[in-house]
Amino acid sequence: MFQSFFLSLKAVYFSIFLAPKQTYTQDELIVLIRDRDQKAFSYLYDNYSQALYNVVNYIVNDVEESEDVIQKVFLKVWNNFASYDPQKGRLYTWMLNIARNLAIDSKRSKHQKIKSKIQNTGDAVYERNNLFVEDNSHESIGFKGILNNLKEDHRIIIDLAYFEGYTQDEISKKLNIPLGTVKTKVRQAIMTLRDLTKKEFLQ
Amino acid sequence: MKVSEVIASGLLETYILGGATDEEVLMIRELCRKHPELITEIERVEARIIEASSHLNEPLNPGLKDKISAQLSFRANAAPPKIVDLQNTQLGFYKFGIAASLLLFVSSFFYILVLQQKLNRLNGEVAALSASKTYMAEELKIQQASLFTINSELRVVSDPSIKKIPLKGMNSLASSSAVIHWNPQTSEVYFNAALLPKPENKQYQLWAIVDGKPVDAGMINPEGDLIFQKMKAIASAQAFAVTIEKPGGSATPSMETMCLLGNV
Repeated sequence: MFQSFFLSLKAVYFSIFLAPKQTYTQDELIVLIRDRDQKAFSYLYDNYSQALYNVVNYIVNDVEESEDVIQKVFLKVWNNFASYDPQKGRLYTWMLNIARNLAIDSKRSKHQKIKSKIQNTGDAVYERNNLFVEDNSHESIGFKGILNNLKEDHRIIIDLAYFEGYTQDEISKKLNIPLGTVKTKVRQAIMTLRDLTKKEFLQ
Repeated sequence: MKVSEVIASGLLETYILGGATDEEVLMIRELCRKHPELITEIERVEARIIEASSHLNEPLNPGLKDKISAQLSFRANAAPPKIVDLQNTQLGFYKFGIAASLLLFVSSFFYILVLQQKLNRLNGEVAALSASKTYMAEELKIQQASLFTINSELRVVSDPSIKKIPLKGMNSLASSSAVIHWNPQTSEVYFNAALLPKPENKQYQLWAIVDGKPVDAGMINPEGDLIFQKMKAIASAQAFAVTIEKPGGSATPSMETMCLLGNV
């Protein structure tokens, strides 16, 4: 009798004081961010920073520079939140766009500096698609290694769609493949990427 | 476009990656309004993408969060917090309240145990007292009955017309004696057998000697009142005698077994 009494006491205690970690829906999160709530920043950072960092680091391929970009991303998200329109897309999509653009800018200005140093002004404009062509020396481990494990056509699709933010239509024209195929390949590539990261994580 | 077609096409993935056109975004928004289950699917795809890209082999510098946090302005710092801190306060209050209730509950539980034990002890005492009271009441009844007997016997003895007749022992009971109280007016006869030894398999029988002849005055009951045993009524007698007879008595006394005799 005493045992069951104390067991139920314990259950009550645990349910009160050790509640599971809080999760927010996107709508709740938006309200909290508009309210400048520190918990919202914490939630954003804990849930999105690693994914964004992997994307940024894939683009700039430099740890310190990537951290710098991530810092700028969160400052921009926090200070320019009014410019986010939930009608036009997901919060993650908006943050991803900011991260991608800042990463590409950062990479461009770095190249610009190197270029100006060696006084080469004839080739000042970088095409977006050149960003990855010229630096293909991603390590074979980690997130980059996993991307390298994708089938070639999937990897190219992910490069364009995820890291460069191309629309399906642009990809279709660029790669000269039908729009329907682009959509299917994006989907397949995401699925494969997810399976690969899971596998890698388990090892 | 149907919901299932949208899901199968891969449009949601492109939408989350930021590659959907304005028309596609508009269409997804419309579909979400009509089919809320599509929102769930979008959240699922988004989680899948974030999971796929959150690979930890290149973990983010753990100090970065605080570094960024230090550069942001939060409402909690500037103005008194509204919703969240209210919730905090309430949560704190609830925690405190629930902890207090638990404490109260546990202490009441033990207090009840203590009271229960005390109640058990008192119940035992009450039962003992009640038994003792019943015993006393019965004892009192016995004493009252005894007192009543003594009173009635005293009345008999103190009657001025009563005669006290000592019986002297003879033959086998030479050293014994007995007393008869006799009221000639009411014919009452009382026999005091307290000093007589108990005969084995025999019984004492009292006789009144009336005009030289023995008249049966009754058997002495060895189990009855030995001091004031009421015998048969005798109106007149010159003497009383006691013989030892077989149980139940005899019609005529046997002179050999006569053991007590006393004249009036």
